[in-house]
Amino acid sequence: MTAAAGPRQRVVHRRSRLAWAFGIAVLVALALLIDAAVRSKVVDLKVVAQYIASPRILEGALHSLLLGTTALFIAVAIGLVVALMRVSGNPILVAFSSTYVYLFRGTPMLIQLIFWFNAFPIMFPQLRIGIPFTDIVLVNEAMTKLVTPWLAALLGLSLAEGAYMAEIVRGGILAVDAGQRDAARSLGMTSLGVMRRIVVPQAARIVVPATGNQYIMLLKSTSLASAIGYLELLRVTTDIYATNFFVVELLVVAGFWYLVMTAFATAIQTGLEKAFPHR
Amino acid sequence: MTMAGPTQAHDASDAMIRIAGVTKYRGSVAVLEDVTVDVPKAQVVAVVGPSGAGKSTLLRCVNHLDTIDAGRIYVDGLMVGYRERDGVLHELTDAEIARQRTRIGMVFQSFNLFRHLKVLDNVAAGPMNVLRMPRGEACELARRLLKQVGLEGKESVYPNQLSGGQQQRVAIARALAMSPSVMLLDEPTSALDPELSQEVVSAIRTLAEGGLTLMIATHEMAIARGFADRVLFMIAGRVVEDAPAKRFFTDPQHERARQFVRSHD
Repeated sequence: MTAAAGPRQRVVHRRSRLAWAFGIAVLVALALLIDAAVRSKVVDLKVVAQYIASPRILEGALHSLLLGTTALFIAVAIGLVVALMRVSGNPILVAFSSTYVYLFRGTPMLIQLIFWFNAFPIMFPQLRIGIPFTDIVLVNEAMTKLVTPWLAALLGLSLAEGAYMAEIVRGGILAVDAGQRDAARSLGMTSLGVMRRIVVPQAARIVVPATGNQYIMLLKSTSLASAIGYLELLRVTTDIYATNFFVVELLVVAGFWYLVMTAFATAIQTGLEKAFPHR
Repeated sequence: MTMAGPTQAHDASDAMIRIAGVTKYRGSVAVLEDVTVDVPKAQVVAVVGPSGAGKSTLLRCVNHLDTIDAGRIYVDGLMVGYRERDGVLHELTDAEIARQRTRIGMVFQSFNLFRHLKVLDNVAAGPMNVLRMPRGEACELARRLLKQVGLEGKESVYPNQLSGGQQQRVAIARALAMSPSVMLLDEPTSALDPELSQEVVSAIRTLAEGGLTLMIATHEMAIARGFADRVLFMIAGRVVEDAPAKRFFTDPQHERARQFVRSHD
């Protein structure tokens, strides 16, 4: 810097008056809404406080978190395999993977959960696993006994989410510059080595934000498992208010815990993005 | 790799790179047409010509990043990418081609450094993952090569923190780490401004002086006129002039080559 700068000129920058007017209008409207809510006593905070950390609610929230998190890990694994099939160029693998994505992304998650819990055991009433060509039977059990609400929910969420993850991972793989592959091949890496050491590590960094988004969606989608009787957060909440009729307060409690889970997922995503930045 | 007996995998001539009658089509367009070039050991060949002449494609065929539709390519006496059986070329397996590429270094116009790896790991990647060199040894080698291209102290930064000229020098070190017997440089300075390209040109000159066989697709006169032994002038997939560098610049034969030389005076 040269020291030739003279006295600083005073400058008044343009302000957007319209936006500020809108902002004030929004504040007034919010104040009116909150005032009305307080007057009509929409929510009894004492009841909220009573339930917010109750053991049943906490257990339900934990079930949701475990279900959503386990399903995410399985979905990521499915997504990676299906995406690799899709980009393999082999017609059978490409057809298989695109059909999988079409079916599982194209039907409602709720229908898939109900399918695995109710329809699947009707289609295959008995599970018998033996060693082929021998009489040894390892498992012989009624399907209705094996397919618990937890298993059906996990299967349904993982397979449905796996279809979304497959597309996300495929996008990530395609986003890796072709020059990276050329460089790796020119060093003498095999196709598998190029995928494992160069393409997948870079694609993984690219897909972190989208995967974080899916994790949040998935944590909230665990509420669908209430329809097949799995005791996750929403099911516990509705069970409780069915007996005491504190509908508003209990939904507030459930909403609070979903927000906590979402904050947790966001924190993980932010951490991963910092640890493995896309360069 | 097993050497199948009655094939012509080996080439009797003493050329380091031998390109014999190579033709390549993209759709119905011949991007390379009957290209024949023998490059003896330690020769520096500049491949020049207008954009779209097939310079890059020719280099990419030499290490089989691109396939060919006719002809043969040998590097250090070994046929690249194919084995011949009853007059038919059969493409080698993925692993066989990968092994051949270990002897053929390549440097790209857009550097193509591995973005997720630090500079040192970029250079050590080949020896470690392909040659199975122990990590410590590979890093030692990488350090030495980075020093050689003037990048001591940049070992633990990421490629995107370097200038283009520095990135290209890392790319040269990365290719050198495999101790290749030939090196292909595909427009190594075309993405750089003149000032930065100088440092890359001098790194390449060092390779040339070290006796490495080089094929360089380039528009850079500091290379073609500066230290290349020989110039190939290509137009529309054909080599229309193949001459010692000195003669190419003083007495070009082909009309387009004359224009080219005049425009670069």
